[in-house]
Amino acid sequence: MRHDIRSFATAAALVLLASAPLGAQSFKTPWGDPDLQGTWTNQTLTPLERPAEFAGKPVLTEEEARAYEARLRQQNNADIRTPGTRRDVTVAYNDVWWDRGERIVADRRTSLIVDPADGRIPPMTPAGQARAAKARAANAAFGDNPAAPEDLDVYSRCIIRSALPRLSTGYNNNYEIVQTPGYVAILQEQIHDTRIIPVDGRPHLAGTVRQWLGDSRGRWEGDTLVVETTNFTDEARGSTFRDATRNMVLVERFRRVDAETIDYQFTVTDPDTWTRPWTVKMPWNKVDGLLYEYACHEGNYGLANTLRSARAAEKAAEQK
Amino acid sequence: MRLIFVSAIALFALCAAAAPGSAHHSFAGEFDVDKPIKLQGTITRVEWINPHAWIHIDVRKPDGTVESWAIEGGTPNTLYRRGITRDSIKSGMVINVDGYLARDGSKKANGRDLTLPDGRKLFLSGTGANEQPNQR
Repeated sequence: MRHDIRSFATAAALVLLASAPLGAQSFKTPWGDPDLQGTWTNQTLTPLERPAEFAGKPVLTEEEARAYEARLRQQNNADIRTPGTRRDVTVAYNDVWWDRGERIVADRRTSLIVDPADGRIPPMTPAGQARAAKARAANAAFGDNPAAPEDLDVYSRCIIRSALPRLSTGYNNNYEIVQTPGYVAILQEQIHDTRIIPVDGRPHLAGTVRQWLGDSRGRWEGDTLVVETTNFTDEARGSTFRDATRNMVLVERFRRVDAETIDYQFTVTDPDTWTRPWTVKMPWNKVDGLLYEYACHEGNYGLANTLRSARAAEKAAEQK
Repeated sequence: MRLIFVSAIALFALCAAAAPGSAHHSFAGEFDVDKPIKLQGTITRVEWINPHAWIHIDVRKPDGTVESWAIEGGTPNTLYRRGITRDSIKSGMVINVDGYLARDGSKKANGRDLTLPDGRKLFLSGTGANEQPNQR
């Protein structure tokens, strides 16, 4: 049966190739939608914001890019011991554990942010600054001794990896896209979150319904999948994107560029947080392999250990 | 095999400037930076689980008794992609761990350095999950 499917797929691909203009590839599902399916990674060494050293220089030359990559790889993998400091542990992984990628983006940009033109996150509004300061103060209030799981963020609690949109992080930057007529599903390796995105014109959920990954609605604009996400929640630490409010609007664009690449862009708009919207452009590159399960909660000994340690610290303080 | 407890003296003063920009509560909450520890032991079991793998070792103390310790590592998904599998870190191997003791007093450690018999060195910080290099 498997061979039959393969044969059919091969025949279908040949028909598609034969009908496509010379040198162009067509990526369509059997029902005619643009085909984004496959396993992808958004790992990259390119920083979100343009570093000060590249101020005014949005794109590197080929030579500069290779030198920058070599420097980042060396820094990331350096075994720097600083015994007795928190740093000694928190930055202790080497490349055996990291999966950051080896390269910057192919167009050699110095930031993933393409708008504003300076490659930096726009200034926060006074309200946004106050919200961020309040979050930092709440964080500092319990320090190393959380009273309950709710003091910790959604990642530590294995609820979600982080609010949408997802950026390239230390590891497990892998995504699998599966499509059916009327739906696009995006499985995120970390922490096993699945976005099931209707692409059938239905309206958003009522504003009273708030979800960890918000409420996504897709539409096709030519070959681009445009996904608008609203209805975020601010009920837990880390459940909004970078100190934004739950009313942030996220618009993502997915366009299949070639067999190996999706051009992924997103724009975040939240007038209560940033003085203007900002946009990121980054590739999702094809991964030759599978997505692995990330059963986070079941093995999250760290959370119990942390709470137990906090109670032990309290007890020790009482006995002093 | 022997067990060495390094005295709980911070070799360097805690330096705010050296701390990463983002909070790393899983380290500060779980392990005591003032209690470094060195262990040599035989692997008895490896839990290939997310969000962090755990390596269990038996450590023989100077008086001949054996203690079981658990060492926290990183995500197994990445290890697997790097070619480090059940055959790379397996029961019976003797490993050296240089890390920090759990704050709750249990026999757990955050392994800072771990050297495999083939010489491969894994820096084992179990808290890198909070590292978001592009989000700082």
